[in-house]
Amino acid sequence: MTTIQLPSPGAMPDTIEARPASDNYLTHTRGILSWIFTLDHKRIGVMYMWSVLGSFLLGGTFALLLRTELLTPGPTITESADTYNQWFTLHGAIMVFLVIIPSIPAALGNIILPIMLGAKDVAFPRLNLFSYYLWVTGAVLCVVSLAMGGFDTGWTFYTPYSTTTTAGGVIPVLTAAFVLGFSSIFTGLNFIVTVHKLRPPGMTWFRMPLFLWAIYATAIIQVLATPVLGITLLLLIVERTVNIGIFNPSMGGDPVLYQHFFWFYSHPAVYIMILPAMGIISEIIAINSHRAIFGYRLIAFSSIAIAFFSFIVWGHHMFTSGQSALMNTLFSAISFSVAIPSAVKVFNWIATLYKGSVSLTTPMWYALAFLFLFTIGGLTGLHLATLSTDVHLHDTYFVVAHFHYVMMGSALIGMIGGLHHWWPKIFGRMYDERLGTIACWIIFIGFNVTFFTQFMLGSQGMPRRYYDYQPEFQIYHVISTIGSYIMAVGFTLTAISLFGSFFNGKKAPANPWGGRSLEWQCASPPPFDNFAKAPRVGDCYDFSVVHWDPKLGGYRVDESNDPEVNPAAQGTKAAH
Amino acid sequence: MAIKTANFIDPFDSAQERGVAGVFGMWVFIAVVAMIFVACILGYVVVRFDQPPGREWMPEGTPGLPSALLLSSAVLLISSWTMQLAVRAARLGQQMQLVYAMGATLGLALLFLAVQALAWNELWTRHATIESGLYAWTFYVLTGVHALHVIGGLPPMVYVFRRSREGQYTPTDYNGVVLCAMYWHALDVIWMVLYATLWICSALT
Ligand code: HEM
Ligand SMILES: [Cu+2]
Repeated sequence: MTTIQLPSPGAMPDTIEARPASDNYLTHTRGILSWIFTLDHKRIGVMYMWSVLGSFLLGGTFALLLRTELLTPGPTITESADTYNQWFTLHGAIMVFLVIIPSIPAALGNIILPIMLGAKDVAFPRLNLFSYYLWVTGAVLCVVSLAMGGFDTGWTFYTPYSTTTTAGGVIPVLTAAFVLGFSSIFTGLNFIVTVHKLRPPGMTWFRMPLFLWAIYATAIIQVLATPVLGITLLLLIVERTVNIGIFNPSMGGDPVLYQHFFWFYSHPAVYIMILPAMGIISEIIAINSHRAIFGYRLIAFSSIAIAFFSFIVWGHHMFTSGQSALMNTLFSAISFSVAIPSAVKVFNWIATLYKGSVSLTTPMWYALAFLFLFTIGGLTGLHLATLSTDVHLHDTYFVVAHFHYVMMGSALIGMIGGLHHWWPKIFGRMYDERLGTIACWIIFIGFNVTFFTQFMLGSQGMPRRYYDYQPEFQIYHVISTIGSYIMAVGFTLTAISLFGSFFNGKKAPANPWGGRSLEWQCASPPPFDNFAKAPRVGDCYDFSVVHWDPKLGGYRVDESNDPEVNPAAQGTKAAH
Repeated sequence: MAIKTANFIDPFDSAQERGVAGVFGMWVFIAVVAMIFVACILGYVVVRFDQPPGREWMPEGTPGLPSALLLSSAVLLISSWTMQLAVRAARLGQQMQLVYAMGATLGLALLFLAVQALAWNELWTRHATIESGLYAWTFYVLTGVHALHVIGGLPPMVYVFRRSREGQYTPTDYNGVVLCAMYWHALDVIWMVLYATLWICSALT
């Protein structure tokens, strides 16, 4: 061990000892109103977090109902196939619109982005709170929809079924998705302006942590793709109300046009889900390998490349819709090229792990799970992007398995990993590492049992969204259902480990993992104004200046030998 | 100056920085609005030219585009001009001109909506109702969505108008007027593109 040099006073990092520990953003003001009307990005992020986790519980409950129903062919726990249709629609709509899309940007992004950037808040705090209440409105509308008779259209709301079904709650849920879309747009707008206009001196574009690049690329998609969903849903609402419109074939309209519009949004939307998770994984892997991330610029640019490509591949969801052979070929070819920037990231992460001294913390286990699951999810995307195989696999459980590997196995696992990574920062408490790791493993195993089976089901021809099935498929369905129960156990343990930290968690140091980016240099939990003075921005992936400090029980960033901070120390860095 | 209270902390160091960020944010917002209309217009063009065989887009006797649209376009163009006069007046600190120009813009905005209503009426009374086919339906939807954006622009405009009457804008701080103008010009440009598209697509029969 090298000895720790005390930093010169000018370079004293804004650590926990530097400020009175009692004043942080959680305790700064008190009372329920101080939360409801808060303009603090951290509190708004925390409110988003609880809301999203609550919705996840609800969506997960429906998932368990679905899987239980599928234990046997024919009726199992409900006599009515229509009830089953409502369950899977609710499950999908809740998970997509209320959980995964806002989970990382709006919840974790809100809390972390400004601190990581070195800003005091997002650019438009009031707009930020407004976005949150739009989210709440959307959630309430979902409940209203349930009260009015629910909806059974699938989360994709395809016409003509969505304009003709007798389920009573279609219009409220379309309105909900519309409102949630604007919540997402305003969050994206806020983040774009924040990243452009609130970078402190020294935080150049290429000093930004990769999480920020990812959120930035995501925000661009949110802003450019979501309006298209908005107008599409609006047209659909009107069309359902008056039964006239451009999706109505009896008037010369075209239902396939709806699919084009929908996927023009929803394909980019899958990158709204995955890009932020990739950003989290970059952070977790670099920090826990204690080693500069490999190929920083490649990872940063690949986020932008993915954002770009995401706009021109939507037709791969419509290979069987009757679009022209030329379109099919083009969309297929372009879809393959999306795999390139995705693979660039995976290889860079693996290269970072290689020869790093990896700490197997809970977040790191989640990151490793992500690497494994995303690889499977991405590669099976290629099966689906291949025209000839997709004709067979389209609308089967193979597609269901594919998108669960990427949405749940990757986006959600990334989100849970990030939750563990920043939990000590957000609440100032350490969770139970051992329990957290065990829970991660249980989720990982349960996940694969559930969804790998579905690849087999799908390739043998089991269609998706079916209430009943041939007896020959039962064994797969049973295995898959057991897997989902295992996952439920895993998530329960995760919740115990995280929430337990409020009761018996150790106080978290400012920097428990050895991070170098700015959020690890302010106290845990952060003070109300994030930074008393503008922080100094270093190379956020240079871990040579990060040292374990037993006195703090965490890491300390010691820049006293950095010539940029202390010119007298020129040349001593190598000896350090 | 940066404001800090018990529950609000201004992320910007100066009003000027906040202003620059506001303008940037408005550009992003205009991109959002533009995407809405790009989708509308593309959808319209696709339905227009992708009619099933044997189905006429404008069957015999369908009325053409209402002539009132020419008037409303002129009104909107002039309102852009008065809006720009307001920005100029604010920059030069001419309080009276600012109030007049904002008032004029507000009036013209209302006039625009009134003329659009006339246009709807014109088409409707000539039996091109929403039920008569996609030609009329798309017309109502496209102009309707645009009108909704104009209506959405009114409250901010009233706000800026009131603040200018109170003399709140100074040559160093008139960002509200600028943001209002940006949005207004964007709606103007969008309208021109929309009108041109409608005109071309109805002329091509
Ligand atoms: C390597 C990149 C990827 C490729 C080439 C790819 C390809 C495809 C294709 C061709 C389909 C349509 C299958 C069908 O319906 O027949 C599909 C479905 C889907 N993919 Fe991917 N995908 C990729 C990555 C992702 C990612 C990262 C996500 C989300 C985070 C995602 C989410 C989805 C979803 C949600 C669906 C199904 C939607 C539905 O029909 O309900 N995909 N993918
Ligand atoms: Cu896709």
